[in-house]
Amino acid sequence: MTELSLAPFPLLRLPLAPLLFAALLWPLLLSLRAALGATISLGQLRPHLSRPLNQPLNQPLNQPLNQPLNQPLSQPSSRSLHRPLDWLWISAPLPALALAVLGPDGSLWLEAWLLGGYWELDDQRRLLLAFSALLWGLAGWYARGYFAAEQAQAAAGDRDSRSRLLRFALFWPLTLCGNLLLLVAEDIASFYLGFALMTFSAYPLVIHNGSREARTGGLAYLVMAVLGEGMILAGLLWGAGTGSALTLSELRATLATADMGLWMGLLLWLGFGVKAGVIGLHLWLPLAHPVAPTPASAVLSGVMIKAGLVGWLSTLPLGMAGVDQSFHGLGLAMLVAGLVGAFAAALWGVAQRHPKAVLAYSSVSQMGMLAALVAIGLLKPDSWPALSVLLLFFAAHHGLSKGALFLGVGISEQPPRLPAWLLWTLLILPALSLAGALGSGLIAKWGTKKALEAAGEETLAFWLSLATVGTTLLMAQTLWRQWRQGLQHAPTATDDRRLLASMPLAWLISVLAALSLPLWFSWLAGGIEGVLSGRLAGRFAWPPLSALPALLWPLGLGLLLSLALGWSLRRVAPRLSDWLPAGDLWWPLAFCGRWLWRLARRLLQGLASLQAAWVAWWVAREGDGLAGLDTLTRAEDWLRRQLALLLLAVALMLAAVLLLSAKSRLLWP
Amino acid sequence: MSAASAMSAVLPLATLASSLLTAAVIFMLPEQAVRTRTALNLAAALIKLVLVIWMARGLVAGEVYAVEFPVVEGLSFVLQVDELGLTFAGLSSLLWLFTTIYAIGYLEDSPNRRRFFGFFSLCVASTLGISLAGNLFTLLIFYELLTLSTYPLVAHRGTPQALAAATVYLRYTLSAGLVLMIGMVALQVLAGDLRFGQRELLAALGPEARPWLIGLFWLLTLGFGVKAALVPLHGWLPRAMVAPAPVSALLHAVAVVKAGAFGIVRLVYDVYGIGFSASLGVLDGLVVIASVTIVYGSLRALAQQELKPRLAYSTVSQVSYIVLGIGLFGPLGTIAALAHLLHQGLMKVTLFFCAGNYAEELGIHRIDELDGVGRRMPLSSLAFTIGALGMIGMPPLVGFISKWMLGMGAVQAEMPWVIAVLVASTLLNAAYFLPILNRLWFRPGPAHGIGTWPAERAPSRLETSAWLLLPALATALLSLLAGMLAGLPFSPLQWATRVVEQTYLMP
Repeated sequence: MTELSLAPFPLLRLPLAPLLFAALLWPLLLSLRAALGATISLGQLRPHLSRPLNQPLNQPLNQPLNQPLNQPLSQPSSRSLHRPLDWLWISAPLPALALAVLGPDGSLWLEAWLLGGYWELDDQRRLLLAFSALLWGLAGWYARGYFAAEQAQAAAGDRDSRSRLLRFALFWPLTLCGNLLLLVAEDIASFYLGFALMTFSAYPLVIHNGSREARTGGLAYLVMAVLGEGMILAGLLWGAGTGSALTLSELRATLATADMGLWMGLLLWLGFGVKAGVIGLHLWLPLAHPVAPTPASAVLSGVMIKAGLVGWLSTLPLGMAGVDQSFHGLGLAMLVAGLVGAFAAALWGVAQRHPKAVLAYSSVSQMGMLAALVAIGLLKPDSWPALSVLLLFFAAHHGLSKGALFLGVGISEQPPRLPAWLLWTLLILPALSLAGALGSGLIAKWGTKKALEAAGEETLAFWLSLATVGTTLLMAQTLWRQWRQGLQHAPTATDDRRLLASMPLAWLISVLAALSLPLWFSWLAGGIEGVLSGRLAGRFAWPPLSALPALLWPLGLGLLLSLALGWSLRRVAPRLSDWLPAGDLWWPLAFCGRWLWRLARRLLQGLASLQAAWVAWWVAREGDGLAGLDTLTRAEDWLRRQLALLLLAVALMLAAVLLLSAKSRLLWP
Repeated sequence: MSAASAMSAVLPLATLASSLLTAAVIFMLPEQAVRTRTALNLAAALIKLVLVIWMARGLVAGEVYAVEFPVVEGLSFVLQVDELGLTFAGLSSLLWLFTTIYAIGYLEDSPNRRRFFGFFSLCVASTLGISLAGNLFTLLIFYELLTLSTYPLVAHRGTPQALAAATVYLRYTLSAGLVLMIGMVALQVLAGDLRFGQRELLAALGPEARPWLIGLFWLLTLGFGVKAALVPLHGWLPRAMVAPAPVSALLHAVAVVKAGAFGIVRLVYDVYGIGFSASLGVLDGLVVIASVTIVYGSLRALAQQELKPRLAYSTVSQVSYIVLGIGLFGPLGTIAALAHLLHQGLMKVTLFFCAGNYAEELGIHRIDELDGVGRRMPLSSLAFTIGALGMIGMPPLVGFISKWMLGMGAVQAEMPWVIAVLVASTLLNAAYFLPILNRLWFRPGPAHGIGTWPAERAPSRLETSAWLLLPALATALLSLLAGMLAGLPFSPLQWATRVVEQTYLMP
């Protein structure tokens, strides 16, 4: 592989700034186009705005949309309106891909942007960008086929599907834009912006079909996302404030040495852990994935949860010398949480019936393994440089394989014209790769094993191998559920069964990209001459044959276990998924949440009535005061009327007193 | 007398007169003179904006603008232009322009417009007077004028509910004015006629005056706190919601609530001086009060079923960010407070414009009637979304900048617990704004053929009248741009930084 460790296209390096702007602005422009399309179609919905079809619209707001497409303004069935997912829309991540492949290393300083923008492209970012943009592109292409029926309905004039599609066309590139921004951002504000933009723009993608389940999934997604954002904000504010940091590297340095660095680190770990599916914070994954449209699930699981990992890598003082000792504890917690997640998710996941729910649990499990590896960065800082490249490879491997698996779920529901053996081989390949049996999976596993052994973490290596047994079980269950679903779903005449349609092609390429990852990954990473390239060559090598038994036993064990479990539990299996519903802890927590909300509501009402009572008390006192004044006035009246009488009485009294006193002692002689 | 020094007296007076004279002329015009009144209103608003920008440029160039004449021996009426005052003046003149445009559309064909616009101008004139006042006495005069000129606006509709709310408003603010006057007189007795910026006078009084000064500080804060709606003095604000939408917008974003907050800003920075306030130990108290208000306001907002009261409680919570920033000793806290003074105005005015649009166009008052409004009124809903996300503190909107600077200031002031308050407020804001956004955009409603709007107006070319739509869009755009391009020289953040450099760091 050493011959590949050259910069990709070393002669064709374009300037960074235009590429960066193009990568970020192109998706933004495309979503703007969808937004304008939505505005126009809304205008058309309203009866008072309808006009003869051959008469051009003259409303200023409506004009910009159609012009870039050079289509007659008057046609209500103009393509961009009724088929929003067109070829232009698919091209959203292409500039980002170009940036990853052609962009030179460097950084960009934007003084006017937020609190000072600082965007950077280095090797880590290039790798993440490359696989993210690739999966986004493939999933977008796949979406074009996935929504073909809905597009046809929209073109036939169905308003609801049209507005749903427009919404999808609007938020998909927006989510992409957030994802790309968070990858290239080096200043904290841009990073947080990218993260938030991605998180919140993905919500409409999750609830796309508007069903009850989709709403539950969306709610779980949103609630967890907001909680995560809160923790991230707290961690970022605290850390950045302590070190007056504006960039992520300054933040890492601050965290490493600050007094309360551990707590900032904990907040950031948990906050990003929501996205990365750390056990306990993973609740949204199995609820949101099955309900989201398949291409959205693919990017959610393949790319977006990696944003959590990116968050950890960018903010935690991983592999830094002189890190505060207390971080050791955090590292241990991360390690334990990661391993627990890897196993618990596998166990819960095999009980699921929906293949996408199984895949979601598999993502939780895989991210648990990644989290355990990240923890090594805190526990054994010396071995971090070797591990971090591997971690990126693992992330890219999981992202692409999981993407291919998710896309495969749609393929098994609506199979193209392929011989069954070929179809199923292709469906099984990424599953095998994820289980570590071939392709990128095997290399990732071998690399991890070597790196961990070099770091003296044989125990962790063993536990991770054991977790792969769980992965194998999950993969077997996914494929089995897909097989069963494929049997139930008889292909109808309306299905597009062409092999060269968008869906199968995008899926095929994603399978290929996932399997060939080792080839092009090191080719991309080779851009870093010197330090990395030398080590890379060794790291992404295929394992020697002698090492294979040590790598493949979990697969064998997993297959045996799945056969045994599948056979022995065949009677309870259907009920199992009712007992262990997807979303596990979400349901009791949601119950508690509702109860708490009712309690809080009553408390707030109590507060309001307390306040009202307080005001009423004062008003009553005021009334008392006024009444007192009235009494005074009345007394004065009475006094005025009775004055003469009173004076007379006083005079008489005085006289009486005088007389009495005169009696007692003689006044005059 | 050179031309420059002549200008120095003319400009502040002209700025003040641009609204005061408008008010007088409007009162003299007949009720039917709609066009003249509209033209006059818009022209005055534009002139005032130009004058304020002129003064801002002059101030940057080092000009001095001040007017003063004695009222009685030892007490003078002072107008002086400094960076701090111009911050507030700029906000009020910018938003006055938008609110005037909005009010013209909102009150189309309704009775008593002469009275409304007359008091409206008077209200803005008093806001401007507050911002340009050079000592507590002048501030107090305009502060009371503000109280009196907003009363007819709150009571404008004349319904029993409106009259009751206006009465409550008057009670709160008049008694606060009394408290303020007592405090001011006491300060006058202690230290003589004290100009804003003469911070050394109080500090020089010696240790025996300290208990007095602390007491007077809280007395004056009590007086300003009523208008700034600090808990537990906020009771009037949610009730004043019955006022017409432009009035609510003005009340919440610029005039009344901000006048209170600005009073506290002046009190801390220009009367006591931030360093002296810190040494008196009163700032910590401010932080605690502000924190309580932030959380309490958000909690109460969560429980509201109607849109405008929810926004009102949100104001209670958000305005306290300013007070919080003041209380955080250090330049970052001050930057946060001043920037948020502007930011909150932009966001809140947008939200109220949109709430008014929903009420006018579709008759919507309750939150559960908002289902699917995004399809019927996409642009208003977009503006509302921007405002709401800004309130939550989502980047790249202005709210994020405020929150960020506050967090930095909190750490700088060694009060990291304030971050917990900020995050709690973010979560609560999300909890009460995100469901609204969800209803607007993602729930099917009458626009999808389910049910009907409470009271839909006859459809117009745009989703609603352009007079109502454009101001909302403009302020939404401004709150987006001011956050996105916070690094530009005249953005609120940079201006606030400049104020801090100019007035704060100097002794």
